[in-house]
This record gives sequence, structure tokens and C-alpha cells, in this order.
Amino acid sequence: MTQEPTADRPRIDAYEKVLGRALYAADQPITGLLHAMTVPATIAKGRIEAIDATAAQKVPGVVRVFTYEDFSQIKTTPAARGAYGQPGKGHQPMTSPVVRHRGEAVALVVAETLEAAIEGAEAIKVRYASGPFSARMEDELASPEAEPDRQLSSGDAQAAFAAANHRIDVEYLHPQQHHNPIELISTTAAFEDGELRIYEGTQAASAFAGGLAGMMGMDPTRLRGVSPYTGGGFGQKNGIQEQSVLVASAAALLRRPVKLVMPRGQLFHTASYRPRSRHRIRLGADEQGRLLAGLYETVQQNSRYDGFACDHGANPPRMYGYRTWQGSDRIVRVDTQTPGHQRAPHEHPSSYATECAMDELAEAVGMDPVEFRLANDTQNDPITGKPFSSRHLAGCLMRGAEMFDWNRRRREPGALVADNGGLIGLGVACGSYKGSMTAAVTTLRLFASGRCEIATSGHEMGQGIRSVIAAELIEILDVDPTKLEIRIGDTGHAPQHITAGSWGTGSVAPAARSAAMKMREELSALTGAPLSEEPVHVQLARTRRLSLEVTVNTIPLGKDGQVIEQLRRGIPSTTGPEYPEFMAFSWIAHFAEVHVETSTGRVRVKRVVSVADCGRVMNRRTAESQVRGGVVWGIGAALREAGETDPRFGGVLNNDLAEYVVPVNADIGTIDVDFIGEPDFKLNMSGVKGLGEVAMVGAAAAVVNAVYNATGRRIRHLPIRIEDLL
Amino acid sequence: MRSLSYVRAGNVREAIEAFAAAGEGARYIAGGTTLYDLMKLGVERPAHLIDIASLEGADRIDTRGDVLFFGAGALMADVAEDDVIRRDYPVLAESLSKAASQQLRNMATVGGNLLQRTRCPYFRNGAIGAYPCNKREPGSGCAGIGGVDRGQAVLGASDACNAVSPGDWPVALTAMDATIEISGPAGTRSVPISDFYRLPGNTPHLEFAIEAGEIVTGISVPKTAAGRNSTYLKVRDRESYAFALASAAVALRMDGNHVRQAHIALGGVATRPWRAREAEALLNAQTIDREIALAAGRAAFADARAGEHNAFKIELGARTLADAIMIAGGKIQ
Repeated sequence: MTQEPTADRPRIDAYEKVLGRALYAADQPITGLLHAMTVPATIAKGRIEAIDATAAQKVPGVVRVFTYEDFSQIKTTPAARGAYGQPGKGHQPMTSPVVRHRGEAVALVVAETLEAAIEGAEAIKVRYASGPFSARMEDELASPEAEPDRQLSSGDAQAAFAAANHRIDVEYLHPQQHHNPIELISTTAAFEDGELRIYEGTQAASAFAGGLAGMMGMDPTRLRGVSPYTGGGFGQKNGIQEQSVLVASAAALLRRPVKLVMPRGQLFHTASYRPRSRHRIRLGADEQGRLLAGLYETVQQNSRYDGFACDHGANPPRMYGYRTWQGSDRIVRVDTQTPGHQRAPHEHPSSYATECAMDELAEAVGMDPVEFRLANDTQNDPITGKPFSSRHLAGCLMRGAEMFDWNRRRREPGALVADNGGLIGLGVACGSYKGSMTAAVTTLRLFASGRCEIATSGHEMGQGIRSVIAAELIEILDVDPTKLEIRIGDTGHAPQHITAGSWGTGSVAPAARSAAMKMREELSALTGAPLSEEPVHVQLARTRRLSLEVTVNTIPLGKDGQVIEQLRRGIPSTTGPEYPEFMAFSWIAHFAEVHVETSTGRVRVKRVVSVADCGRVMNRRTAESQVRGGVVWGIGAALREAGETDPRFGGVLNNDLAEYVVPVNADIGTIDVDFIGEPDFKLNMSGVKGLGEVAMVGAAAAVVNAVYNATGRRIRHLPIRIEDLL
Repeated sequence: MRSLSYVRAGNVREAIEAFAAAGEGARYIAGGTTLYDLMKLGVERPAHLIDIASLEGADRIDTRGDVLFFGAGALMADVAEDDVIRRDYPVLAESLSKAASQQLRNMATVGGNLLQRTRCPYFRNGAIGAYPCNKREPGSGCAGIGGVDRGQAVLGASDACNAVSPGDWPVALTAMDATIEISGPAGTRSVPISDFYRLPGNTPHLEFAIEAGEIVTGISVPKTAAGRNSTYLKVRDRESYAFALASAAVALRMDGNHVRQAHIALGGVATRPWRAREAEALLNAQTIDREIALAAGRAAFADARAGEHNAFKIELGARTLADAIMIAGGKIQ
């Protein structure tokens, strides 16, 4: 065991990717491939009255034009897209003349070339009967659900709030956001070797067998999902897309492979997004700054027909030692596509709102915001009373404050001024994300030649999951990473879970580790002696066996063997954050320094320091990258990003990467990252908690709090733009 | 597949002849950074492309005589990095270096840049949106008026259109009294830049004073001592790779501590590159300080009219201009 597993080691697939050799889903070389293009609806709600495809069919190269009349056999099942495992009616475009949101596909043109498909799609004429709609939750026809999705409470928060010495009562607004992974969402469907293979850059290759097969009336065993790499997922690729079944059905009807790469402009209307939300927060504290009460009510937009729940209330009560708590989360239905999980789906907006509110309360109490948080630290969950498996949030705050030189901060806004006259503001905020795990099936094969193959459950979406697998195999078996083949994201090699919710590393690391340990046991049994310091493949070679294979089912804490069957059937089967004996979360503290230009109100984030408690760090380099990426996204959320909807038309106006403003390099200053690095062995044998999502939780709030410290202005909506500070 | 013909012209005359011979649907193409974008959006559907990227001598940059001359085919990056321009006319160099990205500036030409079209989302979103837009489809209406108008113009709008003119370089050229050199079937002509850009009025689809078949061949800028005291200040939603929310091109010809002549134009706020004569007049014979700079800024926006979300552009534009005046006057960095 020569290499430190948490070393600053390059990604195992770095060269492959940088050299362009990694074949993504849309890159698969498939003979006879046809190309498809969709025709997006130009109304927000209504019915198709007529489709004129005459001109499109005459375009040379066009093979066939599909409309809803061709796809009425597609079934909308409970497992169909968008239902998120909750009761939902679902809506699959192109299965009826009904249009439920602007931009959904109303026709699919399949052609020999992409150019012909595009030209054919542009030649289609559709006549609609348009109906009244509301695409924003503030508008007239938006429908609030009567019952809340979730309620959490502990004690009499109303009374405690009423009796508190210091109180704040504020509302924060979070805009609609879009993931925009660089890899566009594509679907390629091909019948190969008697099975239907769906190549899609997805976080859920099993969703095809689990959901698409049902929609198509196919035997799930004849459907294989392949997600070779995912070029950014961020939750937008965690289920079947609106397009998936259309492309698969076209391939089935034509008996030829078909590929569709959805253009970015259409993805703003067909793929999921982070829904707009409103957050009312009431916090009360006593004279000593102890949190007596938290009351938190949230509302989130949703489509008319699906069950993407509002879950903002899950994490905030776990952040501090609230004496009492009361929270509720509701949804409002509007005429858009279904929103979904976007990196830290609810944790980011709720941390934005509640951590800004904490800053406001610290101000009201007259305490330093770091001191205020430390004074309300807790080792037990206020809602369930259970202890946390591990919580080093205070350590994150203290180490971050030191790295950041927090003591520079002055309580009165605008007191620090830069050489160029800009106002300097310092802000802090914290975040948490549930510690979840999911089942995995792992097959590890060691060859006497030194080669090693592992097939397991999980998807590579840029987070570095291959590198995590390699790290465990290197630590336990000292295998040569250049002779290691890692097969993931392919139901042809192993059953696949949805890789999301920051459970990828927490699930795959123990899976790889236990497979490696079992390999040592089996090898030892084979050699009849404890293993020596010699390379394992040399010891294997001595037994005259060419290879040795082990298979391990990893069952997460709190589940039984049934979970493996669920995994095989593509049913989500995750655990956490509540376990029998404890609650598990990752924690983080962010510190931000902003400079605000006095004449124009331009905000520049000069420096961010982030310290995370994610349990054991599997790879320092990919972990730091994860956190930097999360912080950049937090800065973007605070100052840049918003999907713009014109209430007269619905849809998203700024539907390209030029006008949907995300940070560029010039927007990002220094980001310093550190980790507590204490393994959490209560949660799993690898001691890891999640990192990908907690990285961004609280980052936006730190920036917003810094803007307050610079300007004295509480801006209670995102993004904070120039006009807010003029 | 929508096929198109493509020819590469060797000189201006060849190009004009090729255009005439091609007939309906002909378009010149140089760097392609605008035309390809508009083709993808379905705004342009050319049947014939005449490539003028390598016309003989078209990329000439000449700073030796009484005027600065920029061949229309000169790359944005090359003009932005020209030592004389950077030293003596920072307003011109900065307007180019703050535009687009390095990759785009390496392809795009200073002539083609003059013909860039608006970023109005209703104009650009034809395929998915099919929003009313008098520029895309004359007579269909204007969704920008009464819509999500944060980015729309506060100066020069009409009842038919409030789309912002997107450029940076044309704004700097407007301040510096540039002349556009044009060749066409009927010969050559020179158009002052103030006549090159039209107000939308009732015909917002007609944006430039150039006829079908004509080519921009060059840009002339009279030399002036004001160039040394000049700047292009651009304020946008992020630090790079974004169009202006408000920008100001300012060049000051000084007489000791007093302004002898001010050159001022505004971008990001108007339906065309906007010369701010009132602001120029106000600075005349004045010494520069924050107060007079802000007064000039406010004067430039005296006639501005805002919609629902873009009122901030009036204040932002005034302050941006004030900052630019202070920079050009050497009062702040």
C-alpha cells in the first residue's frame, strides 16, 4: 500500500477527456444512424388542431415525420418521467394533441442527416387552439395546492417567537434557474443483439429498463441503458427525458437507430429546472443570542401534472439548536414543464433564505455572525432528538474564520474601503446536505497479468467517481491504475442506481472497498496463507489461475437484502438522512469577500474560503474541484442567474448561454478550500459522507451577507443585480 | 438539406459582380460570427454566400496619414492590439477588446461588426417563441414593448421597436466621427457614421444605410488629439463576454485644464449608437470634476423614456458616462 488514497492525484480519466478520446453518449459510432429533430410548441397551453407536414416530407433526406398520432400507444406509467416516485399524473408530449407547456415537442422529424432533420422540422406547420395559462406562480391562473408537501415541528414555535427578545420576519425570493450542463441532453436508440440500447448521458441508466420499457410495453430485460460519461448532470439528467421515449419509439417503428441531440434553446423548455420559490422566515432569539424559535414557510412552483415536491424545510431546522421549530412547504401549479432536482435542489434556496435571515438576526441581537452560529451549535437534531453521526460545523467555522482573517470584519456596513474607493463587505454562511447511501452490486475481477476490471453501480458525471473507485482499489489491493478498467453507468454490466443526492461516493467507495477486501479474502483462501507484501496479481499468478472474480452486494445501513432486488428493477432505494441511531449530514462554512463599486453598484467577489466536513476525503484534487465548482455556482446564483419568463407567452426568454448569465472566469476571484477530514465510520466503512451538493449550500448566502456588510442593503431576492445597488 | 452556393472573391469588384450574378438570397460573408448565428436562428436563410474574408488588402490598418484607416476585413483582435491605436486612441482599442471573446475577436472583422444585429430576445427567439417582432416580420408587432424589457432601449425607441443596438465598436466610432466607406454596383461612396444607423421609426427592420449588393470596404476616423484622453467604459451583467447594459465612449480634447471639445457616444441604452451632443455641449470649456461629469451624464439621458424594468438604465447610463468622463479626463483610473 504505497499510495495515500486521499492524495492529490489526477483524475483517472483526465487524459482521455482532455484528448477528446472519451466517447460520450451522442458520440457512439453506430452504423445506419438516423438523425431526429423536434418541433417545439409555440403556445403555452392548448391543443393541436392540425399539423401540416407536406413540405417537411418533401425535404430530401427526410425519412419520416412523427406526430402524436404515431405515438398514442406510449403509456404514461407511474414510473414515467417526472413523477419522482411520488403520485403524479405525468405528461408525455406527443401522445395526444394536448399541449401543456411552451416548447414541448409536437412533431419529430427523422432524416438521413441532421441538416435534413432540422430543415424538415422548420418546415412543419402547426395550427393550435390556444387556452388561458399562467407560467409564473404570481400570475392569476397559478393554483396553490391546498395541502403542504411537508411539515416539521418541534415545540410551540409560535409562542416562543412571540416571547422572544429579538425577532425578524422576512421573505426571500429565489428565481427559476436552469442547469445547462455543457453536454446537451441526447438520446440514441438502437436495436443491437436483440435488445434495445438507449445511449444517453444520464445519471440513471436503469431508468430506461425501469420506466421506458413500461412506457413502450417492452420486457425490461430487453432494454439496456448505457451512460458512458455524463458531461455534467447536476440533477437535470436524473430521469427519463421528455424526448427519450419519442426517440426510442421512432427507432422501434423505423427499425433503424435514431439519435436526437436536443438544442440548448429547446432544453430550457423540455428539461427540468430549479423552480422559483418564496421563503418566509421568522426567527426569534433571547438576549444572549440563543435561538428560541424558527418558523419557516416556503412555496415553490411546479407543473400542473407532476409530483416534484417542495422540500425546502428539511435542512434548516438541523443547522442550529433551535428550541422550537415550525415549518411547512407548499407547491403552486403553473403551466410549465416539470421542475426537478438541480444541485442542492432545496438545500441551496433554503440555505440562501435562512442563512441570510440568520445574518439579519445576528445583527438584531448585536452578535458577530460567526459567534452567533457557534453559540447555537448543536450535536443533536432538534426535530428527532437523534445525535448526528458526525458534525464538525463549528470546526468548519473556526478554521474558515482563521483562513479568511474574519476578524477584519466591521459590524457597521461600508466601514472597510478598498484603495479604489470600492466598499468591502465580508459575509459568512453555512450549509448542510443529507448523508445518503444507496445499494450497489459490484463485480471485481483480478487477472494474473496485473489487469483489474470492476463493474459497479454509479455514473461518472464529472464528479470523479471513477477516481474514487480507483482510490479504494489502490488502497486495498495496490492495483496499477493504468491497468484498471472501470465499467459504470451501464445496465449491461451492473444494475444502476440514480447517481444523485451526493450518494455516489458514499455508496461506491464502500462498494469498491468491500469488493477489494473480499478479493483479498478469496485470494488468501486460494493461496492457503495470509497475503504477503507482494503484488496481489503476482500472488494470484502463483496459483496458476488466470483470474479471480468476486461479486459483492452492498446494502446501505438501515436496509435489508430486498434493496438489491429494488436496485435491479430500477426502483430508487436510498437511505438517509435519518438512520436508526443517528442523523447524517455533511456540513460546510463559506466566507465571502465582495467589493462593491460605488458609482455603478457592480459587485466583485474577490475571495471565498470554504471549509467542508464531508467525512473522509477520497481525492483531494477532485474534492477541491467539487467545492470550487459549487462555490462558483453559488456566486452565479447570488449575482448572475435567472430564467426570465414573459407572462404573456410563457417559456424562457433568455434560453441560450449568452443571455442566461453564468459567471465567466473574470467573475471569479480566489477560492480557498479546506476539509476537516474526519472519517465518519458510523455511516459506512469508507468513512465518507457526500460532498458534491453540500459544496454549494450556503455559498450564495455568504455572498449576499457580504453585500449587506459592504452596502448596508438587504436585497431579499436573487440574483442581486446592478439595479438593486444603484 | 437546404443547399447553398459558395464562392470566394479575390477583390471588391469580383465580390460585387458575384453578388449580382448570384441573384436572390445572396449574402456576403466575412468572419461569419454574426451571419452563422443568424442562420442558426432562422433570421438569415442565404442561398448564395460570397466570401469576402480574403479580399485583396481588405485587412489593411493604416495610422500614418491624417486619418486612421481600417480595412473592413481587419480582424477585431488585430485592431484592438495595434500599438498606435492602443496608445493614441484607447477608446477604439477598448471598445474592441471589451467586445465578445478572444475567440470571436480572432474571427470577426471590424467591417462586419458594424452590421451586428440586436440581442433583443424576442427578435432572437423566432423558432421557439414565434414572438411578434417587427424586425423579423414587419407588421407583426413588438413583444419587447410591455414585455420583459430590462435590456431594452431607453433612448431612440419607437412604438414599433425598442430593441437595443448591440455594438461597442460602432459606439466608439460614433464618438470619433468616423466615416464608412462603401462600394457597390453603382460605385463607391462615403457615409458619415451618424447617417449609417437608422432609428427604428416605423421601419425597424431597416437598420443600416446600405443597399443590397454593397460592401463596407473600410472605416476612416479623423485623427484628433482627443484620442489620447479617451476611454470606452462598458458596464454589463458580468465582467466579460456580455453585451453592455450601459456603455460610454468619451474622448476629450483639452486646452490646459479645460475641455475644448468633447466626443461622447453611448451604447447599450439606445436603438442605435447614440451621440450625446447635449452632454458634449455641457462639458465645453469646463474643468472636469465629478459634479460636472454627472451633470453631463444626466443631460445625455434628459429625453430617456423607460418601460417597466429598464428605468435603472437611465441612472446607470448617466453614472457610466460620468465615470467615463472622469477616466478620460485623467481624474480616476
